[in-house]
Amino acid sequence: MDKQPSQQVLRLENVTVRRGNFLLNQISFSVRAGEIVAILGRTGAGKTLLLETIAGFSRPEAGQVFCRGTDVHQTPLHRRNIGYLYQDFSLFPHMTAAANIGYGLKLRRLPREMIRARVEEMAGRFGICRILEQYPGTLSGGEQQRVALARALMLQTPLLLLDEPFSALDPVTREGLYRLLREVCGEFQCAVVLVTHDFREAAALSHRVGVLLEGSLRGIVPADSLFDAPWDEETRRFLGLEPVKKE
Amino acid sequence: MMGRSGWFPLVCGLLTAAALALVGSNVAVIAVRGLGSLPACLTQPEVRFALGLSVKSACISTALCFLLAAPTAYTLTHAAFPGRRAAEVVLELTMSLPYIVLGLSMLILFSSPAGKQLKELGFPVVFHQNGVILAQLVVNLPFAVRLCAAAFRGVDRKLECVAGLLGASPARRFFTVLLPLCKNALISAVILVWSRALGEFGATLMLVGVTRMKTETLPGSIYLAVSTNNLDAALASAFLLLVISALSLITANLLSRTGRQRSRYG
Repeated sequence: MDKQPSQQVLRLENVTVRRGNFLLNQISFSVRAGEIVAILGRTGAGKTLLLETIAGFSRPEAGQVFCRGTDVHQTPLHRRNIGYLYQDFSLFPHMTAAANIGYGLKLRRLPREMIRARVEEMAGRFGICRILEQYPGTLSGGEQQRVALARALMLQTPLLLLDEPFSALDPVTREGLYRLLREVCGEFQCAVVLVTHDFREAAALSHRVGVLLEGSLRGIVPADSLFDAPWDEETRRFLGLEPVKKE
Repeated sequence: MMGRSGWFPLVCGLLTAAALALVGSNVAVIAVRGLGSLPACLTQPEVRFALGLSVKSACISTALCFLLAAPTAYTLTHAAFPGRRAAEVVLELTMSLPYIVLGLSMLILFSSPAGKQLKELGFPVVFHQNGVILAQLVVNLPFAVRLCAAAFRGVDRKLECVAGLLGASPARRFFTVLLPLCKNALISAVILVWSRALGEFGATLMLVGVTRMKTETLPGSIYLAVSTNNLDAALASAFLLLVISALSLITANLLSRTGRQRSRYG
């Protein structure tokens, strides 16, 4: 149960989504400001569908998704105030890195100098100042990742959704980005939902971890007790834990 | 010695040669004989008038066409609404109809009391140059919608979703993400549609007829020249159309090639 409901950013209430034969069944959880929640699951468990539903791209059959008290599916896409980072980064290929990062600010009609200053400040944090005038196609995977993350964080949205964002990166780059993400999200008080199939990533990056198996959320526990929590047999198998011995 | 499996490529090769000879001989006739007739015919006011009217009407109808086609294609590819499939069928059906049938329906439509009202308001269509533009527009609109829709479908939908979450309204997403990303495809679509408008004949003939120095386009000029046994003038007009079509095709291909090269980095 949330200790500080006033800081709650995201709330899912019995969300059920159907896509073809697949069913995301009665998902409920909440995320507070500054908190990172990782959802672990195998490929095909419904992780991306869950994120798309939270972002409002997929409409639930039942249940509701609230972002800061507002039903996401009743809010126009451009007013949802949610950051989303796709697995393939989805950078705008016809814009430079700087234009990608500053896109949201430009839409808010901020003065050009202010946009430049804020983009450079964010780029400085992510160590990408020297690539700001380059186009996404000329950047490495790690650089694209940093640009996409900087773009998603630029608007300081209260909610950030990350779809397996670090899966294509080498371990050193990944560790650096974990640190950076925690630091920036803590500073911006941004609630983060991250979906991944990597146990280590989930434990290293998040405050709480949920396990999603075959469209059903088996529970959410503090990250440091991921392997000690009283999971059901299937979840224990997924986590690679010994079956519980029956007395 | 040729093996048993060698017959198929050989037959295909022979049929290809036959097909190329069939098409190429027509192009060659126009290119060789038309070029010879061109200098003399270009001095004739009728040919110059036809060229001017064709280019002018093709430019206006193409502009109007894309003014309607781009939003239509956007709606068909981005909105879920009842009757969407029916709308697509209507457009496809219009594309597969003989253009003379479209011309006939336009003739009936604009000869109706509503059409006559339009004429009284200062916009005559039947047997008027406005009709040339309208005929080209109606004939090319479904084709332009299809080209625009294909271009829009080629853009990763996630990019529009990301832009939306960053605060872009549907119009801003259209102008800052969708249009720039399919710019080359749309430019080559404009060229193809313009080139088709230039060669439109069936619907134009039905709606406005072919009157010398009034509603005479380049294809109409060919028709009139052949009717009056002036083969040199017909070949000269045909040569002009051939050159314009070839230039359009080359430009469209160059643009789509540039688009493909850029997309490797996308």
